[in-house]
Amino acid sequence: MHPPTPSSGALRRLGTQRWTTAAKTSRQCAAIHMTTRATVPSTKQTLPSHAVRAAVAAPSSPTLPTVTQTAQRRTFHSTDHPPPPGPFGATESALLAAAYQHVPEHGFSSAALAFGARDAGFPDISTSVLPDGEFGLIRWHLELRKAELAGRAEEMFVGEGKGKEYKIPEKIEMLIWERLTGNKEVIGQWQQALAIMASPTNVPVSIKHLAELADEIVYLSGDKAVDPSWYSSRAGVSAIYASTELFMTSDKSEGFTDTRQFLRRRMEEARGVKGALGNVGQWVGFSAMGALNVARSWGVRV
Amino acid sequence: MASRPGLRSIAAASTSASRTFAPRFVPPTSRSFASTHPASRPTTTTNDTSDRPTSFGFETVTESEKRERVAGVFSSVADSYDRMNDMMSLGVHRLWKDHYVSSLNPGYTPPGQAARPQHILDIAGGTGDIAFRHLHTAHVLNRNPDVRVTISDINPDMLEVGKKRSSILPASQQAALSFLQANAEDLTGKVADNSMDLYTVAFGIRNFSNMPAALQEAHRVLKPGGVFACLEFSKVGNALLDSVYKRWSFGAIPMIGHLVAGDRDSYQYLVESIENFPSQEDFRQLILDAGFGVAGQGYEDLTGGIAAIHRGIKPLA
Repeated sequence: MHPPTPSSGALRRLGTQRWTTAAKTSRQCAAIHMTTRATVPSTKQTLPSHAVRAAVAAPSSPTLPTVTQTAQRRTFHSTDHPPPPGPFGATESALLAAAYQHVPEHGFSSAALAFGARDAGFPDISTSVLPDGEFGLIRWHLELRKAELAGRAEEMFVGEGKGKEYKIPEKIEMLIWERLTGNKEVIGQWQQALAIMASPTNVPVSIKHLAELADEIVYLSGDKAVDPSWYSSRAGVSAIYASTELFMTSDKSEGFTDTRQFLRRRMEEARGVKGALGNVGQWVGFSAMGALNVARSWGVRV
Repeated sequence: MASRPGLRSIAAASTSASRTFAPRFVPPTSRSFASTHPASRPTTTTNDTSDRPTSFGFETVTESEKRERVAGVFSSVADSYDRMNDMMSLGVHRLWKDHYVSSLNPGYTPPGQAARPQHILDIAGGTGDIAFRHLHTAHVLNRNPDVRVTISDINPDMLEVGKKRSSILPASQQAALSFLQANAEDLTGKVADNSMDLYTVAFGIRNFSNMPAALQEAHRVLKPGGVFACLEFSKVGNALLDSVYKRWSFGAIPMIGHLVAGDRDSYQYLVESIENFPSQEDFRQLILDAGFGVAGQGYEDLTGGIAAIHRGIKPLA
């Protein structure tokens, strides 16, 4: 994740009315903060919210924006420009979308890919064009569920401003829970997927994806801060999400209530840590100022 | 301290390679490839582009002349080809080829399903290296005996080597193997439209006079959903590795060719043709231009980009 140093134009926009109103009115802006690389399939304009809802309602036809040519890159986030293309090409999307239907039964495996290829009318050899095999299927799942989040956020926070107010940590908790429910269908295969994601060649992409997801969640929660808390909030969300996701893979409770409680406890701890850190910071600042004043009273020219 | 001058000369090589690289290695234009066997040259097939200029190593020749000269090079190296590959790449080419074939996974069938026949066209596959690996993966590992491989090469000498070597294969694999002498830029009448599952070319495409034409042919012969795969030398990303690699390829490989195969010029051509081959991105663009789709970035670097695997897929309908 890049440091929060947007171009001066973006910074200026951050402080203006325009940004805040744009952000308020368009919570469908799944798009990530100014620094996220533009290969992320931001659902903003590509997937209109009704399409996202359709994808949520009918998981049998998941879609993602596709890219036919080389992915364009943009180093900044903009709500004023059309969104960049998604990370998957047309044929790649067709193969992965078909294979994804077989994941609950066959896992994130070459078998699922091969079944999917047959379903979609491809010859068996076609799956060999996918550069990272089953990890590509995992990336498909991750991108799909992340892209759905923006539309879900719009639905969840619909009552906001009309008598119902959420605090940012509440919204973050709701968003994390919403993203975790996206794993329900494949939860039996998710430990295997986490193992594949943790293999050395895949670790950089996995971590990048976690960072993007955290960025998305923080953005959708309405946290627009560009101070050092930019890092701490994203790091916190990443840690909470990753640990809760792992907990969920071994959760046997009805409706994953144990996971829900686990998530709540982690959020409370984060609040506690944040408060403690804030107190420490205040104390250090106060002591330093006191020491400075004592030095001045001794006649030191500072 | 002894390593210092060595390091300095590497550093100097890396800087000078970028600045004065081409002039230092341009061979005299009068050089000819005297070691060819004129008798074994294939009859030159003339098509409309045969007098168009193309590159032969660092020289510029016409396409038909390149075809003849490449035929000469491979006729002269056919017998020592594998030994030379081992010495030049220090054995790494075997790892690349193994990875290449296992990543294509020919003959794979989803569990519990009936195996479907597949037909693989191995272009420039003269000595059979790639074809034998495909057969092993499909027949032995994936237990799909309905996978056939056609080895195609423009050069009858290379095909002879392949035929000789195929005699040690199990009979069932020999039965699934066929040989075809053809120019990959024009397979009309030899390979039918939409007939192949997999088109594979390993360390061959840089010798083609007209790469776009060959890619068009690949697109024509592949079934919809069929895969184009290419293993080829490529551009090294890391500057330090690149300078060491350039030293090795331009200094040592012609020398090894001279000592082991008694044929310096052919190996000089090999390294020059590698240097002239387009970068990963440019070659991917050629694949896209031919009508294929790619997945992800479209290529996979091997050993820091010394070689790269490109894959494309012919879209359905």
